[in-house]
Amino acid sequence: MAINLDPKTPSGDLKDKWSKHKFESKLVNPANKRKFTVIVVGTGLAGGSAAATLAELGYNVLSFCIQDSARRAHSIAAQGGINAAKNYPNDGDSVKRLFYDTIKGGDYRSREANVYRLAEVSTNIIDQMVSQGVPFAREYGGYLDNRSFGGAQVSRTFYARGQTGQQLLLGCYSGMMKMVSKGKIKMFNRREMMDLVTINGKARGIIVRNLITGELERYAADAVLLCTGGYGNVFYLSTNAMASNASAAWRCYKRGAAFANPCFTQIHPTCIPVHGDYQSKLTLMSESLRNDGRVWVPKKPNDTRKPAEIPDDERDYYLERVYPSFGNLAPRDISSRQAKYRYDEGKGVGPTKQAVYLDFRDAIARDGKEVIAGRYGNLFEMYERITGDDPYKTPMMIYPAVHYTMGGLWVDYNLQSTVPGLHVLGEANFSDHGANRLGASALMQGLADGYFVIPSTISHYLASTPLEKVTTEAKEFKDAEEAVRIQTSKLLGIKGKQTVDTFHKKLGHYMWDYVGMSRNEAGLKKAIDGIRKLREEFWQDVNVPGDTGNFNLELHKATRVADFLELGELMALDALERNESCGGHFREEYQTPDGEAQRDDANFAHAAVWEYTGPNSSPIRHKEELKFEYVQLATRSYK
Amino acid sequence: MSSETMTLNLKIWRQKNAQTEGKLVDYRVDHVSPDMSFLEMIDVLNEQLVRKGEDPIAFDHDCREGICGMCSMMIDGKAHGGYKNTTTCQVHMRLYKNGDTIVIEPFRAQAFPLIKDLAVDRGAIDKVMMAGGYITANTGNAPDANAMLIPKPVADEAMDAAACIGCGACVASCPNGSGMLFMGAKISQLAVLPQGEPEAPRRALNMVHTHDGLGFGNCTNHAECEATCPKGISIEHIARMNREYLKAAFTYHEKTRSEGGA
Amino acid sequence: MVTSAMNHYCKSSIGRKQLIAVTGLLLCGFLVGHLTGNFLLLVGPDAFNIYAHKLASLGAVLYLIEAGLAALFLGHLGLAIKLNMENMKAKGKYQQKTRTGRGTTIASQTMPITGLVLFIFLILHLCSIKFGSHYETTVDGVLMRDLYRTTLEYFRSTGATAWYVFAMICAAVHTSHGFASAFQTMGWNHGKYFKNVKRLGLIYAILVGGGFAFISIWCHMKGV
Repeated sequence: MAINLDPKTPSGDLKDKWSKHKFESKLVNPANKRKFTVIVVGTGLAGGSAAATLAELGYNVLSFCIQDSARRAHSIAAQGGINAAKNYPNDGDSVKRLFYDTIKGGDYRSREANVYRLAEVSTNIIDQMVSQGVPFAREYGGYLDNRSFGGAQVSRTFYARGQTGQQLLLGCYSGMMKMVSKGKIKMFNRREMMDLVTINGKARGIIVRNLITGELERYAADAVLLCTGGYGNVFYLSTNAMASNASAAWRCYKRGAAFANPCFTQIHPTCIPVHGDYQSKLTLMSESLRNDGRVWVPKKPNDTRKPAEIPDDERDYYLERVYPSFGNLAPRDISSRQAKYRYDEGKGVGPTKQAVYLDFRDAIARDGKEVIAGRYGNLFEMYERITGDDPYKTPMMIYPAVHYTMGGLWVDYNLQSTVPGLHVLGEANFSDHGANRLGASALMQGLADGYFVIPSTISHYLASTPLEKVTTEAKEFKDAEEAVRIQTSKLLGIKGKQTVDTFHKKLGHYMWDYVGMSRNEAGLKKAIDGIRKLREEFWQDVNVPGDTGNFNLELHKATRVADFLELGELMALDALERNESCGGHFREEYQTPDGEAQRDDANFAHAAVWEYTGPNSSPIRHKEELKFEYVQLATRSYK
Repeated sequence: MSSETMTLNLKIWRQKNAQTEGKLVDYRVDHVSPDMSFLEMIDVLNEQLVRKGEDPIAFDHDCREGICGMCSMMIDGKAHGGYKNTTTCQVHMRLYKNGDTIVIEPFRAQAFPLIKDLAVDRGAIDKVMMAGGYITANTGNAPDANAMLIPKPVADEAMDAAACIGCGACVASCPNGSGMLFMGAKISQLAVLPQGEPEAPRRALNMVHTHDGLGFGNCTNHAECEATCPKGISIEHIARMNREYLKAAFTYHEKTRSEGGA
Repeated sequence: MVTSAMNHYCKSSIGRKQLIAVTGLLLCGFLVGHLTGNFLLLVGPDAFNIYAHKLASLGAVLYLIEAGLAALFLGHLGLAIKLNMENMKAKGKYQQKTRTGRGTTIASQTMPITGLVLFIFLILHLCSIKFGSHYETTVDGVLMRDLYRTTLEYFRSTGATAWYVFAMICAAVHTSHGFASAFQTMGWNHGKYFKNVKRLGLIYAILVGGGFAFISIWCHMKGV
């Protein structure tokens, strides 16, 4: 199958590309919009904003979500804030600077035109969300307040307490509910996408499982928008929600949508450590804690003394030691990796040793408990609720955890995948963050895609593509449904000895140990081999109780894990092929003498785009060369 | 962090679906670590059940960090366990002692029909939201975000109300099964903000009337909702809703007009 | 839908609650008036009888007031019964008994019971006092009903006094929740003053319930 990786980047000057493109895009006239139906899978910031906006424009929208309500999508858990180049604080911000910071933060592995557009529409997002009643933090004078975030020298982050994601999502959700009440959005809750249906090479529908009844359902449309988030749960333990999964994207991949940069995952340095094998998820502690907390481990390996009993000269404040100028505020990928090195040296702390201290003793002594409580009180409370330790008295224990996936389905400038009609928005696509995402940029991207990009590009697709009438009685629908049915009965029929979670945990260990914070050739090969064997074992020995005609949570998990077992291998393969270190991808073979990431722009300034070729053959690695016309490639240094 | 483990006796509500009768079933869980979350303890039990070939307990959960509002459960008769500002997923087992018996039931209310075991259908919350829990601001209309000044205390008040996670604990813990707290929170949030003002009367009327038709009970000011709300939302927001509703009922008038034109 | 807002008001949960709240508050006002009159019992037979006579001589106005009071009582009662029936249905058969201990109070949970006791009390009270034994007396040459005697006779019985005191405890419990609750229902709840409203409600409940009970006991002691 020939694969078309034309990014369709508009010509012209960087800052004019988007307006030029919008002008050149074909429009659907208002009376005709009601003749088109668009499927939107997922109701997070990308899906919610897209569904509401397309419905407002007059399209018929079918919206699907896996939870019991659109309001629960995992965008809700984002804490810190959302970036926008408003330059309200008058500190020198601009669209160009946000563009530049994002490209650099992504370690020069993203597409210039896409990132510029993201920065350009960022300001509209804030306007839009405020008009919908999102209670962003304000000054006494009534103006919006900003805070600063990692990777930027300006204050451009808007926030609503520590619940920015929640407030933005509820804004999108309320917009959706408005359009549901007007009949323009049909909402389908507790549905999980099981397959994409393509007819004549174009995405024309989906097969979903009704999670309550277990029934498979078919839905036809003129275009499909995939807004299903990232695949961090392939690691089993991550900061993702329990239902977050890769299946929808993975099924699209198998239907011809190419998958780009699967190995680009972001590991967040400040999470509450794992404390037992029963653990189901990891909780993030805001990065802002590193403004006042000092990160350290004991100098002596296997030191079992209590932290208070370890004198200062026996502590290794390793971030301050290795990065004297950035110290405890070194970027996410670097801080995470350093914590791993300490663990590898046997200097980890706590019962599992997979932790380092984040100590507020000095900050409390310097500023007083009141001041520290004012800044981090709610976080300290949350930490104490989970761990039972009081961070005012004893240092926090933290460890890195999987947080976000920059990779995803490949899309062009129009957010269209390699399957015509299948558009991919938000974390599910690969487009804007390169090899590393900056804090407070995920919310921005999801909303930019849904509110401002897709309404324009989808109309062009619908107006310029001949779309024959299809119904769910078409053969392609029946075949796709049958394939899902066969897979389901196969899973239910194995009745082996191991639970789904057992496999998921084993997969997680492979991923975390070999495809995690730092990777090497031998480890990646081991992972690929191990995951393959694990997959075979899964299909012989998994135990999925019950049947389809019920609210069968084990079955739901099993189908997701089956896909994770395939995706994990592709991630390892991608990491193995990328012989350089960049952003979240650190290959031990490619580092500078002092242990920093070494990019290889001559050979790897491209997106690796994987094409599925069938169950028994290896995927093909294509390249989309990244052209940098407006920024100069430079090495990131934080020493 | 403690390494000692506990044995707990659970009485969990099992019900195959809405049509069948349910009952409390006894389970024993060993090796419960005090560091586990409540839901992880249920995970462990479910693993045991699956290994034995039994049907695991169905329960709703997702983010497990207290923000999505998906987890529910009445723990010993209290929504989310009754701990201050805590959702079920954030309840940790160190709050219990070895040998404790814990009764776990679903969120119950006429407006929340049961799906299976501990999972209920909270779609009524969405329906109330559809009736007006929004500001009609279509994409693209918005003026500059700083064009409308909102004093900090007003933004803070709106944020207090907006913190609602839509979990339904207020409904489940209300002796009357009333949905006034979550509805009041939304009406109040949008009523204090200047952006929400143009639609405020219409919103209050439509949401309240929709709420009444969904099988929710009436508020009799027990304030159990406020005590149990994992986000600490105050019944002051119900009072504001009452005010808004009263004002709207006596002043709001909308004629049907033809919108024809050249 | 929206155009018929007023029609909906009386049928909506909030509208009905507000009607209950308003009638409740007006009845609270009535109790204060009634209690003030009752204190005249302590002054002496003449004072009390003159007061009662003056009320009785209002004629048509009295009937109007009585009709108004009856409407308040019946409206309050009828709406509350409907509300409670709906609430019982809304919670279904699975009423959970355990509560956090931070929200509901004994008063809030027993509103229907205390309310019903008060209604039964009201009927008996009217029968035994207003429509009770009719004696006559002459004060300053004016012939009038000796309500003082009727009242004292009634409270001679320990049982009647105990029942009366019990009813007044119910009244106190009922208003201790109802008073502040009515403010909340009308939307008059603001962090700045609502604590004081609650305190006022409690003081009201104790003074009014206690006042009535005190007088009944006083009558009982005096009559023996």
